[in-house]
Amino acid sequence: MLEIRDIAVHYGRHQALDKVALDVAKGEIVVILGANGAGKSTLLKTVAGLQAAVHGSTVTLDDHRLDGLPPHKVVEAGLALVPEGRGVFGELTVAENLAMGAYAQRARGDEARRLAQVLALFPKLAERRGQMVRTMSGGEQQMVAIGRALMSAPDILMLDEPSLGLSPLVCGELFDALEKVRDTGVGILLVEQNARRSLEMADRGYLLENGRIVGQGTAAALRDDENVRRAYLGAASAH
Amino acid sequence: MLFLILFTSLLLGGAYALMAMGLTLQYGVARIMNLSIGETLVGAAFAAFWLQTQAQVGPLWGLLVITPAAFVLNWLIYRHLLTPLVRRAKNRGMLEVDSILATFGLLFILQGVMLALFGGNYYSYSYFSEPVELFGHTFALNRIVAFAVAAAVALALYLGLNRTRTGTAVRAVSVDPVAAGLVAIDVARTSALAFAIGGALTACGGALLSMFLTFNASMGVVFTTKALIIVIMGGVGDPRGAVIAALLLALAETTVATLVDPGLTLAATYGLFVLILLFRPQGIMGRRTA
Repeated sequence: MLEIRDIAVHYGRHQALDKVALDVAKGEIVVILGANGAGKSTLLKTVAGLQAAVHGSTVTLDDHRLDGLPPHKVVEAGLALVPEGRGVFGELTVAENLAMGAYAQRARGDEARRLAQVLALFPKLAERRGQMVRTMSGGEQQMVAIGRALMSAPDILMLDEPSLGLSPLVCGELFDALEKVRDTGVGILLVEQNARRSLEMADRGYLLENGRIVGQGTAAALRDDENVRRAYLGAASAH
Repeated sequence: MLFLILFTSLLLGGAYALMAMGLTLQYGVARIMNLSIGETLVGAAFAAFWLQTQAQVGPLWGLLVITPAAFVLNWLIYRHLLTPLVRRAKNRGMLEVDSILATFGLLFILQGVMLALFGGNYYSYSYFSEPVELFGHTFALNRIVAFAVAAAVALALYLGLNRTRTGTAVRAVSVDPVAAGLVAIDVARTSALAFAIGGALTACGGALLSMFLTFNASMGVVFTTKALIIVIMGGVGDPRGAVIAALLLALAETTVATLVDPGLTLAATYGLFVLILLFRPQGIMGRRTA
């Protein structure tokens, strides 16, 4: 169980996050909905150790404190982030990217089995193992990014706008893959513009506005909520 | 004549390539533009000289001492002198400026120590200096030996960077340090490692050059210039580019020295540099950045 409590982040005088609290259990998909600039990316970056939070913010994963740890130790503890823009190693091959995913000590013993799982999840990657990642399409690079994160044997996987810039078809494939990942027992915390599709597959959701959580509930309840429909599922929906 | 020029530059280019790969690791991975790299090289040349003349240890055996010593020394320099700069740098540009200033200072410290120990005189020693007949031309054996060792070290580096987990992690940090942290790579540690390996490679190149070049305590800057030119020519962060550019530089120097005048080698170096900057500013192997 990932427990985020009282996370506050300032960029100078601007308060990007204000006492944000949320939970993600293993085996569930939790989606964070919010407009651009609401603080979604900041939240994921902060939890991953890329962004400093105000003193008093806490992040725990199965009773291990993660707040204040550098990114590489957060991954080692079982929390992986697929950042916005994917963050793949463009100058490295697919195989090398996936091998680097298993750089964490926690992932090394089990590397071969996990690689087989990732290649089963994304068969396209198996055909392209020797290809330089920067020469691949956006959808394929996103597969590399997710596959690489899975190679670290995460308990919780965070994804920042994975569908950004992808065609609806590729986007659908990606979301199907995420559901399969959830079914293996990994918890998923997802930030998405595509509210309609992400609420279809998510178990629960949170609404983030101006750095504050302003609503939460099961995905079904959020889908039926009049305010959510107006704000996120109307004309604002991407696909 | 053509063969003589080609082969001579190949032999010279080997040691240049080690130094350039050293700088490309330090700059491409650890993001430190090390202006004292020439002093590292000259320091290793003096160490090889001292071992040969005072301790009767030849430079090839000396490499086994000099290379690890340079590794440790550069590790310490990164940890204690440069890490504070890395920590306070808000972005890459700031780190570049700070590291240029810091290593510029380090240059004078290292040069001062060498001047105090050895004075301003030129040094050389005789090692494997018997002539070797190759395809109708005569070469000094020490140049051939130096090249063979440089080639072996370069090959080992290539395999290490491409075939090992740690080597791939070094390349990953070079490509994207933020993403490297997200796959559990300890970026600070890996940068220190790359900087130390870079220093060790440069020292190795210096010890090899000392087998056939005359050197003195204040000529480090000449080698720093060459290393910078090679790295910019080859494309920052790519050891393959560094090797090709090192050979090109050696070829330009040798051609001009043989056909025109040995005094014009530095001019040839800059000429080549300007041409590359004009026609391929991203380097031979580099790609244009967006």
